[in-house]
Amino acid sequence: MIKDEIKLDTITIALPKGKLFAPSRDLLKKAGCGAQGLSEDSRKLVIKNEEAGLSFVITKPVDLPTYVEYGAADIGVIGKDVLLEEQKDVYELLDLGFGKCRLMLAVPENLRRDKLTDYANLRVATKYPRVAAEFFHGVGIQAEIINLNGSIELAPMVGLSEMIVDIVETGRTLRENKLAEIAAIHTATARLIANRASFKLKSERIHSILDAIRRQLHSD
Amino acid sequence: MIKDNFIPQIPYGVKDFLTGEAARKRALESGAAGLFARWGYQEVVTPTFEYLETFDSSTLSEQAFKFFNREGRALILRPDMTCPIARLVSTRMKDADRPQRLFYIANVFRYEQAQAGRQCEFYQAGVELLGSSCAAADAEIVALAVETLKNAGLDNFKVSIGHVDFLNGVVESACLAPRDETRLRGLLAGRDLAGLQACAAELAFAPALRECLREALFLHGGKEVLDKAYRLAGNQTSARALDNLKSIFTMLESYGAAAAIDFDLGLIRDFGYYTGMVFEGYTPGLGFPICGGGRYDNMMRFFGEDCPAIGFSAGVDRLLIALSRRNAAAVLDPGAYIAWREGFFAQAAAAASELRSKGRRAELAFCAQSADEAFKSARGRELIYI
Repeated sequence: MIKDEIKLDTITIALPKGKLFAPSRDLLKKAGCGAQGLSEDSRKLVIKNEEAGLSFVITKPVDLPTYVEYGAADIGVIGKDVLLEEQKDVYELLDLGFGKCRLMLAVPENLRRDKLTDYANLRVATKYPRVAAEFFHGVGIQAEIINLNGSIELAPMVGLSEMIVDIVETGRTLRENKLAEIAAIHTATARLIANRASFKLKSERIHSILDAIRRQLHSD
Repeated sequence: MIKDNFIPQIPYGVKDFLTGEAARKRALESGAAGLFARWGYQEVVTPTFEYLETFDSSTLSEQAFKFFNREGRALILRPDMTCPIARLVSTRMKDADRPQRLFYIANVFRYEQAQAGRQCEFYQAGVELLGSSCAAADAEIVALAVETLKNAGLDNFKVSIGHVDFLNGVVESACLAPRDETRLRGLLAGRDLAGLQACAAELAFAPALRECLREALFLHGGKEVLDKAYRLAGNQTSARALDNLKSIFTMLESYGAAAAIDFDLGLIRDFGYYTGMVFEGYTPGLGFPICGGGRYDNMMRFFGEDCPAIGFSAGVDRLLIALSRRNAAAVLDPGAYIAWREGFFAQAAAAASELRSKGRRAELAFCAQSADEAFKSARGRELIYI
């Protein structure tokens, strides 16, 4: 009795706005999890595919792990960088391989110094305060962390900070702003994550979606 | 003197229970207490704060609220009830019979990000069974956990059982350098399957081990997963863990609890002190476990006694949320309002006593009222006008 009721539940999938949205949607569609009108600028907040028992929500990337941790979404796609920063209690099921980028420490080219430890006691602007703090702690330097929400490159240009910890894909933005990467902190790709309770209660469906995605990744 | 614009607040992570909530909480806790007592468990109450050392064997002390007493000794607000009960049993109840069946209903304190049904202060109802390493003790605890959820009024839930030695056996069989083993265990504890695969590739694990690590966290379902698990993990430690689970499950069938149970060999509990069978309960619509527990045979050694132990606790706050979401929360008796005309106070007081002695809820008017006034004051309650 208990099992049947659970099985009938739909699966809610959270997708992040921004650069991971399109590849996530396309991959899921190929793996048999699509929905009509699933687009990033849809006015609908929840997009349903009743036949397939699927429901999609589109969230801001930083909020996505929270939706999944609380079980408001059963599974979701999100960058490893966000997972590292948010530290939510979720299952990290699969490395999807796309959205590759790296978290790094950069300084204006004219402030470059010889060793990492020469950068002690400086200010660092970042969207990733936890990752940055852990990194500095790990290399044994003290730094003042300034938490910003975007346009991190601006901070050293106007004297808000000496360094930045940010995410880069190609490094073009860095070069354009005369910033030099001085340490790699993490590499990050998109991950498939799942809620702890959903992973147990809806394990069959989540497992089959996971298998379909794996097959899709291998065939690409 | 009241300051201007002064709005008294309560600190982050604590909450007030208002009248309805508090009543539902009380009903749930009394129900659990009654059930535990019927299973032969006796209640104990331990102090809200203890010396910090009591929690040295637990990783929970990192998340705890700590402070100093006037002598400068470090104190801790209890982050769980398992350590205090282990301390209690190994000291004050040292000479008491074994096995000991104890229960508690208590608030515990952890400094963490507030979640659904998990503030910094939250309430647990749980039991500890000390002095038996038999599979029947494990089965009793799981069956009692299932019964606790049912007794609370929850009808749609699943309890998954696993065993820490299943994954321990897998990790040991890899024969890793300590550093790599720590990394592997960290990934398992973090439920990071993507990281596990990367780690397996990087450390060039044998294909059988890689397959095992890939599948381990998915070994979830009915009895058939045990057979699959035996095949996947060809080591003694894992096999013994599976044997143990098999015999526990057979007993759970006898309890009639098997329908609510399944196996989850990838189950990883948040605390490191477990040594055997572990389990967690889930209900749809709540993204967090609603109850959990397991065997912790080594903890008592920390308190100077070699004594096997097992226990579980259910989150009272989480149960309340789950129940309110399916409207199964206890319906409260609105009670009766007893109003009286001038000169009839004595009769009204007698009527109230009579109702109360029958277990009804009765409220008595403070002054004589007309029928109209009485009707207004009753506000939906049964009106008795004398």
